[in-house]
Amino acid sequence: MQVLRNVFRRKLRVFLTISGITIGVLALVVMGSMAEKINLMVSGGTRYYSDKVTVNAEGSGAMFSTGPLSLGKLQEIKNVPGVAEVSGSIGALLETGSSMSFGMPAMIIGSDMRGDNLENFKIGYSQGQTIGPNDVGSVVVGSDLVSKLSAKVGEYITVRGEQFKVAGIMDKTLTAPDSSVYMTLSDAQRLFMQDLPEMVRSQINAADIVTSFVVYPTKDTDPEALAATINDTVSGVTATGPSAFKEQIASVTGIFNAILYGIAIISLVVGGLSVINTMTMSVSERTREIGVRKAIGASDGQIVRQFLTEAGVIGLIGGVSGLFLGWIAATIVNAALESRNLNLFVVTPRLAIGAVVFAVVLGLVSGLYPSLHAARMRPVAALRYE
Amino acid sequence: MKEMENDLMPIVIKGQDIHKRYVMGKDNYVDALQGASIEVEEGGMVAVMGPSGSGKSTLLHILGCLDSLDSGEVWLDGRRVDDLGGGDLTKLRREEVGFIFQTFNLVSSMNALENVALAAQYAGKGRREAREAAEAAMARVGLADRQKHRPSELSGGQQQRVAIARALVNSPRVIFGDEPTGNLDSASSEEIVAMMHSINNETGTTFVLVTHDPGVAEACGHVIHMLDGKVRE
Repeated sequence: MQVLRNVFRRKLRVFLTISGITIGVLALVVMGSMAEKINLMVSGGTRYYSDKVTVNAEGSGAMFSTGPLSLGKLQEIKNVPGVAEVSGSIGALLETGSSMSFGMPAMIIGSDMRGDNLENFKIGYSQGQTIGPNDVGSVVVGSDLVSKLSAKVGEYITVRGEQFKVAGIMDKTLTAPDSSVYMTLSDAQRLFMQDLPEMVRSQINAADIVTSFVVYPTKDTDPEALAATINDTVSGVTATGPSAFKEQIASVTGIFNAILYGIAIISLVVGGLSVINTMTMSVSERTREIGVRKAIGASDGQIVRQFLTEAGVIGLIGGVSGLFLGWIAATIVNAALESRNLNLFVVTPRLAIGAVVFAVVLGLVSGLYPSLHAARMRPVAALRYE
Repeated sequence: MKEMENDLMPIVIKGQDIHKRYVMGKDNYVDALQGASIEVEEGGMVAVMGPSGSGKSTLLHILGCLDSLDSGEVWLDGRRVDDLGGGDLTKLRREEVGFIFQTFNLVSSMNALENVALAAQYAGKGRREAREAAEAAMARVGLADRQKHRPSELSGGQQQRVAIARALVNSPRVIFGDEPTGNLDSASSEEIVAMMHSINNETGTTFVLVTHDPGVAEACGHVIHMLDGKVRE
């Protein structure tokens, strides 16, 4: 209590200082929660791609291509030594016309589900259950799309103008599946055909189209080496191993993270400077008090501790209020963007704890110089101070 | 530690040929003490008088381990203390001496009891123990009913009584007072002088009081006069 009384002696000044830290922590939480969201998506992707090879149409821009491939390639790929199973799939945008925006766009994923028993990236179901390759007309919905599509297990939702029965709703994964609708390959092929120009459509058979193959290597096969073998032996396709995902995505998000955290750190440094300023003024105003405290027996360590505690408390209050405001901001923005299926921010426990700890440490570090200055005062000189 | 002998009461404080120069800038200095020597008997009540600038306060601060000296010796309770380091001096200020100032110097953000308990806490007492010691000291100075008052809610005389309680709380050997009545009206001054006198009588605590106030000097058994940085008894 005494600490709080001392801290709030100069209410306006302390309020302004705490506001400085609050804004810094707010920036850290908002920027950090955006980075956390991206990190979770990237780590989910890294985990998903870690044990498999992705095959797309040649020259179609690698991993996330939606360029069409013939299902006929499936057998050709399966014949490559080291391939345990190949699964054909279709990826298409949930809404035609939506463009790649911040984060992941909502996707339709259709799969022949051949590799499901080899899949290590398991997803649980919060309601209902998964679908099988023959469940035409049924879908599984990602957690972020539930409210957008008004999805309820057993009821129907509309995807691209067609009615589908919801078989299950997936657990939140914090990565790509959250914003995906899974369906059978044949359903997805039919929807995908609608995207193609009339001329192309008339020349191809819907049942023959996929946009990618997911290749599951045999137990002892290195997916990276397998990707190279597929590129060498199968014509007209581009195979990519796990490292491609890291190279394409992780390195870009690394820079993005650095920028986000950089902005937040700069605002915190400004907050830290204002703590130094406040504590220095506080020490200067309380010079006499420091003299008195030393005269009645305070050691240098006790004086340092007193002022460091006050600086730490300023950091703590700023940190907690910044976290609170940041969490509110993230929640409001997420709620506002929900209809556009953008879940931009994730305030993770490590971010929340990290932000508050950082603010306290910032307060302590900033308070160190003024505290040492206070402790080193000669008692008589401090007592004479007017 | 070297024991000092005395025929009557033992000497509790001894200052020997103390010199102190304050340097304000190049060729600008003040020789505050120029060979001041003093002896105070245990249980005594001594007034130090003299014109402004005679070195009274400087002597008090040096004897009370608040300031350093340039040359000379200071002995407290038979122990030489002028060559001690910062940590030992802090310990002495906690346990052996108490201070009373002209402007009371209470911490304004704390109530009266907290001000007194603070000194006990610095001396290593736990929170509860410090509080009990502070309550006893507040009762001793007749302010048991003013414990929760902030310094700004107390009169000058009451504030000085809180300061006396704070000086007393660790049962020091010596209490130093720098113009303890300098900011008080005559009625309050008399009250404070009487209080210090009764504490001195009851507990045997030694008082060394720098003062301009003849009333204070009169109450003290022994008056020391200073002039130009030297003691002239």
